[in-house]
Amino acid sequence: MIFNSIQFVIFFIVVTSLYFSLPHNKRWLLLLISSCYFYMAFVPIYILILGFTIVIDYFAGILIENAAGKKRKIYLLLSLVANIGVLAVFKYWNFIAENFSYLFKGFGLDSPLPYLSILLPIGLSFHTFQAMSYTIEVYRGHQKAERHFGIYSLYVMFYPQLVAGPIERPQNLLHQFREEHHFEYERVVEGLKEMLWGFVKKLVIADRLSLYVNSVYNNADHHSGLSLIVATIFFAFQIYCDFSGYSNIAIGAAKVMGFKLMTNFNRPYFSRSIAEFWKRWHISLSTWFRDYLYITLGGNKVSIPRWYFNLFFVFLISGLWHGANWTFIIWGALNGFYLVFALITQGARDKINDITGLTRLPLLHRWIQIIITFLLTCFAWVFFRANNLDHAILIIKKMATFKGPIWFENGSMLMYSFGAIFLLLAVEAKQEYFKSSFSLMNNKNWLVRNAVYALLIILIFLIGVFDGGQFIYFQF
Amino acid sequence: MIKNNLKKNPYTYFLLKLLLLAGIVFLFDFSIGNILRHYYFKQQSGLQYRSTYAFERTNEDILIFGSSRANHHYIPAIFEKELSQSCYNAGRDGEAIFYHYSVLKSVLKRYTPKMIVLDFHNSDLQKDSRGYDRLTTLLPYYKTHPEIRPIAELKGPFEKWKLCSAIYPFNSSFFTIAAGNAGFNKKRKEDMKGYLPIYKVWNKPIEADPETEERGIDSVKKKIFESFIKECVEKNIKLFIVKSPTYIKQTGVDPYVTEAEKIASHFGVPFFDYSHDPMFISDNGKYFADRSHMNNTGSQLFSEILIKRILDWKPQATENKIK
Repeated sequence: MIFNSIQFVIFFIVVTSLYFSLPHNKRWLLLLISSCYFYMAFVPIYILILGFTIVIDYFAGILIENAAGKKRKIYLLLSLVANIGVLAVFKYWNFIAENFSYLFKGFGLDSPLPYLSILLPIGLSFHTFQAMSYTIEVYRGHQKAERHFGIYSLYVMFYPQLVAGPIERPQNLLHQFREEHHFEYERVVEGLKEMLWGFVKKLVIADRLSLYVNSVYNNADHHSGLSLIVATIFFAFQIYCDFSGYSNIAIGAAKVMGFKLMTNFNRPYFSRSIAEFWKRWHISLSTWFRDYLYITLGGNKVSIPRWYFNLFFVFLISGLWHGANWTFIIWGALNGFYLVFALITQGARDKINDITGLTRLPLLHRWIQIIITFLLTCFAWVFFRANNLDHAILIIKKMATFKGPIWFENGSMLMYSFGAIFLLLAVEAKQEYFKSSFSLMNNKNWLVRNAVYALLIILIFLIGVFDGGQFIYFQF
Repeated sequence: MIKNNLKKNPYTYFLLKLLLLAGIVFLFDFSIGNILRHYYFKQQSGLQYRSTYAFERTNEDILIFGSSRANHHYIPAIFEKELSQSCYNAGRDGEAIFYHYSVLKSVLKRYTPKMIVLDFHNSDLQKDSRGYDRLTTLLPYYKTHPEIRPIAELKGPFEKWKLCSAIYPFNSSFFTIAAGNAGFNKKRKEDMKGYLPIYKVWNKPIEADPETEERGIDSVKKKIFESFIKECVEKNIKLFIVKSPTYIKQTGVDPYVTEAEKIASHFGVPFFDYSHDPMFISDNGKYFADRSHMNNTGSQLFSEILIKRILDWKPQATENKIK
């Protein structure tokens, strides 16, 4: 079941109404059943994979807590191997088999790895990482093992964030299932407002931009360099609104029922550096890699070359997390490279800023940094969006020519797209730079506030794309 | 005081506020939706205007149905001259059998044309979800044309509910409606009784169709295709189903054409297949504007050849097997 469907709206109303009608001790069961239903609406059989990891990690958590010494590590490793094993089989097997096949062909041999005819279970990387964070935190002693199987299952399966995050930590989420949440008017309204903004981002902005992006990227060889540049910039906003829109809906839906999920996006395109970008983009994944991989590798408390390696390696793995394709690996590597390059050149860049006088013009300096960061992320997005490496190279080559007419099917296509981006930037610029000034959505005047809610709903009816389909990040 | 009392019961307070918000949404929706409706039907040019004309104002003896290939391939002026009957080209870009059948239903409610030419496109039978998305085109007519409602509702299980909104039928149409009212389209494109000429020449070698994916026959589309033919036959309308020329190399038997021919034959309706006719493709791309669309020169030649064939055609069981 996708969030941008009438089915979900009905599902949400029914589940939320039942949630507040039931006594507290029955609510976990309602949420668990509804989460199972939500997940099974995609491909029912894949609930068995989810069930497998839940059982493994549930017992692993208890065993880790009860064991001492080396045994704790063994149980943790067993749990990690099981989780990564599921990911390896369902997400990476065919990618590995394909690359093995190329490798063996080079030596004139047949690959020993067969291709598997399997579909990637929706949101697999998300719930696997959330499950892994539980056993790691139990091992580190930051979280007590959950004895209630139903509550633990709910931690992995909680429907708002089941298929595309935010990837939660047990310390933040588990205890919330035991707390009683009352129907608080202000909180419910806040949650609904966040959901509404999420729907606007998905239906009005992301799916609108996708019409142009798909038309151009799917026929890249027929399009000019300028069209591909426009499509790449549109894709940067499309993927942001698609994914952060999902997060807004997830966080809002959870908030209505009294659950506080972690913030996943914080206006990333206002970042002044790639390092800042990754503190604002997909925060739940970035912090996951920071806490469980980067720090485990030694973080920055190692020699400088090793520190650079750690950074680069984490981003390489982050790329692989996104998808079993070289394009995602390159995308991750490129981001890792940006970060390492920024660290290496920090001194030189500071000097250039001093010489050119940019440090004395902070506003101009800030906007130059924001634009450069945005352009660097856009360049990396080419690999993220391209179908394969050849496709990405073709697009970059064409973009480099900076030539040709800008394609559009009809004038309104571009007008809606630019209008959608303008709306997003206006809202986010206001949030970023004018936090305390006049607010429309939180206006003290009831009529103004409600007129704005109503207008956002009307905007969806008026220019929302209703046949846009799934969220991009579901595939991960 | 009342507010404080209500706040003590958050459920009632919330529902009351929700109701008020629904009221504001309704007001906005009703007023904006009706303004859009008013200007939608006031358009003087463009594809939405042509659709409204096809649904509500046609009175011609001959009607052409089909997608953009119909729009660009059949010249009403030649039909009128050769057959001495009035003609309108009701084709619409990107549309398939759902749209054509809806227009037919609306036309038949008003009058019975003497002849219909349906330009067949594989998407009239092919499984393809885009065909259902395209039903959006019908939504502005949903309210005033009850005969098309069952077809429009094929778009999705909740379409009926979505159509409670006055704005929804005009989703993403704001700029098109504005252009149609400003006469912008008139200046931009020639519209000759629904025929839209293209003057480009496709200077590229002929190639096979890159889209070789076998999607299969959509049973709902097939049923609608059959209903289209059946209703024409029942009303004694001379129906000709035609697959107009393409600049695509033939690589095998087209299963959709075979199926369409079979259905047409079942109803005793002729099916003329010109899709790979050497007369049009032998002269390089002279008659084409792109792989799927003929230019004005090609359309003139094709319209003349087709009319001659229509005039020569005798209702015999064997005729429809030719070509």
